[in-house]
Amino acid sequence: MTNTIDSRTVQENSGRDNARRKDRILGLSGRGLVWLTLILFAIASVVPMIWLVLAPSKSAADLITLSPFAFGSFEQYGIAWQNLMVFQEGRLLTWVWNSVWYTALIVLISCVTAIMAGYALATAPIPFRRALLLTTLVAMIVPPVALVIPLFIEVTTIGIYNTPWAIILTSSFYPFGTFLAYIYFSTSIPKELYEAARIDGAGEFGTFMRVALPLSKGLIGMLAFFSFTANWVNYFLPYVLVNSGEILTLPVGLGVLFSSTPGINPMLGASILPIRQPEIALAGLLIAVPILIVFLASSRLLVRGVLAGSVKS
Amino acid sequence: MFLPYFILLIAFGIIPVILAFFTSMRPSMINPDGGLLNYLIVIQDFRFLPAVINVTTFLVIYVPLMLIVVAIMSLLLDTLKGRWAIGLRTAYIVPASISGAVAILVWYFMLEPTYSPYREALQALGITEGTQVWSQENLVGIFVLMTFFTGAGMWIVVQYGSLQSIPDELLEAARIDGANQIQIGLQIKLPLIRKYLIYMAILVFAAGLQIFVEPFLISASVYPGIADNWSLNQLAYAFAFEAANLGAAAALSLMLLVVCIIVALIAIYKTDFFDEAGVKKK
Repeated sequence: MTNTIDSRTVQENSGRDNARRKDRILGLSGRGLVWLTLILFAIASVVPMIWLVLAPSKSAADLITLSPFAFGSFEQYGIAWQNLMVFQEGRLLTWVWNSVWYTALIVLISCVTAIMAGYALATAPIPFRRALLLTTLVAMIVPPVALVIPLFIEVTTIGIYNTPWAIILTSSFYPFGTFLAYIYFSTSIPKELYEAARIDGAGEFGTFMRVALPLSKGLIGMLAFFSFTANWVNYFLPYVLVNSGEILTLPVGLGVLFSSTPGINPMLGASILPIRQPEIALAGLLIAVPILIVFLASSRLLVRGVLAGSVKS
Repeated sequence: MFLPYFILLIAFGIIPVILAFFTSMRPSMINPDGGLLNYLIVIQDFRFLPAVINVTTFLVIYVPLMLIVVAIMSLLLDTLKGRWAIGLRTAYIVPASISGAVAILVWYFMLEPTYSPYREALQALGITEGTQVWSQENLVGIFVLMTFFTGAGMWIVVQYGSLQSIPDELLEAARIDGANQIQIGLQIKLPLIRKYLIYMAILVFAAGLQIFVEPFLISASVYPGIADNWSLNQLAYAFAFEAANLGAAAALSLMLLVVCIIVALIAIYKTDFFDEAGVKKK
């Protein structure tokens, strides 16, 4: 951080000098400062992740004595895993499985509904189209956290509190996805294509299936990307909507590990559970690694998706 | 085609808000008459003002910090070419995978002198005990650090992406006119990505206003009680689940929601970000 600001100040100061000297300074030290800033920021970006990956390779004692970036041994990952399995007789596996199938269903439902709705908004005459689009935009900008308490009230009212469906159904409302699909179908695919299919006698759904969908592989990837990355790590909503141990998700379960084991809770120093810092780090990795892989593989989708609202095709 | 989404929109976008409104009017133990008094009870609660101050302080640091760092870093990144830019971009995206509960975990270790990769730096600052870091006066800074770290890299990559869409001819013309890199950056590139930066600031503000996980998990597990009722959402949570006053919880949630909706409407109607969406009347 300090480095970022320092180098900026230096650059701005040099920018106020007369033009020629400025160019020369820029050419040498300016260039160096730019590189230094960019590289320091990159190092700061990867340090926590590297630490997290290495932590379970060491025992709790080694974590303190060895260098933070030392590698322990592969066996330690196995030991840490076995220790984690001691917690409530392998409850962690249940949480992993829950997170996998909840998220899979959420991604499926949210993407299918969003892509169909976006297509309809872009191509079909829908009553109150502008109002619906506006509602979708507002819902997309308002962070999902804002609706947690209202959703809790609703979920208890309709009787699905503390069931997987409380999480799955509420998380499947995907205004951002609908907006992305709407932008895609109204800008990236020429209107003539839809019209041609209709003239050939395909109905609205037929046109969607045979013309629009085969042309939207990129869009589907983008929708799945944003839906997955948001829901895999979601904490507040599942935390409030379910409370039985066997239906929790992995992030909420990680919170349970925080508060019921001595891993990162100094107050619980005398616990008999073998779950300490390496085990906690390993549990954290289970959440972080799938997200990391998806981000690294799809950063292109990230850029296209976030800016979709205003980028002309 | 629109129907499945429409059902979800009504069921989980509109109805919860309506239900919350009626709930916020409900009588409770401390307010047998219910009604708008629930809102007053929230505002007059002794924890309300401190939470407003906490969240405001947090936003005042967090939002400008994000704007400035993201703008500078993406402009700097855009001065590089090819492979180097791709490598750095990949590094910047990494922290985005450390969010929510995992962010608490990671930052606990980063700031704990016995474990931290930055232990030498911490010790040089005279910090040898975790409790020196995890004190109430440092909480704003810690939460800014956590949320900044999770979001900044991702936004740098996004803004870098928007810089990439600036036509080369435009930059070439500026170069021929004698503009140096700094002038090109500040006078040409920056104005061109202005609307993306404003859009980012709006999203970051709305999310920051609703901050919950970081103070909640720290306070519930790592350092018990250190950040109880620190944010407004935590207070709403406390009303609902600790005081069993759902009316007050709903009232507070709706107040926060209204601020977010206003912010969203500003984003839609007062910025040019959504011009392509066709919501505004032409």
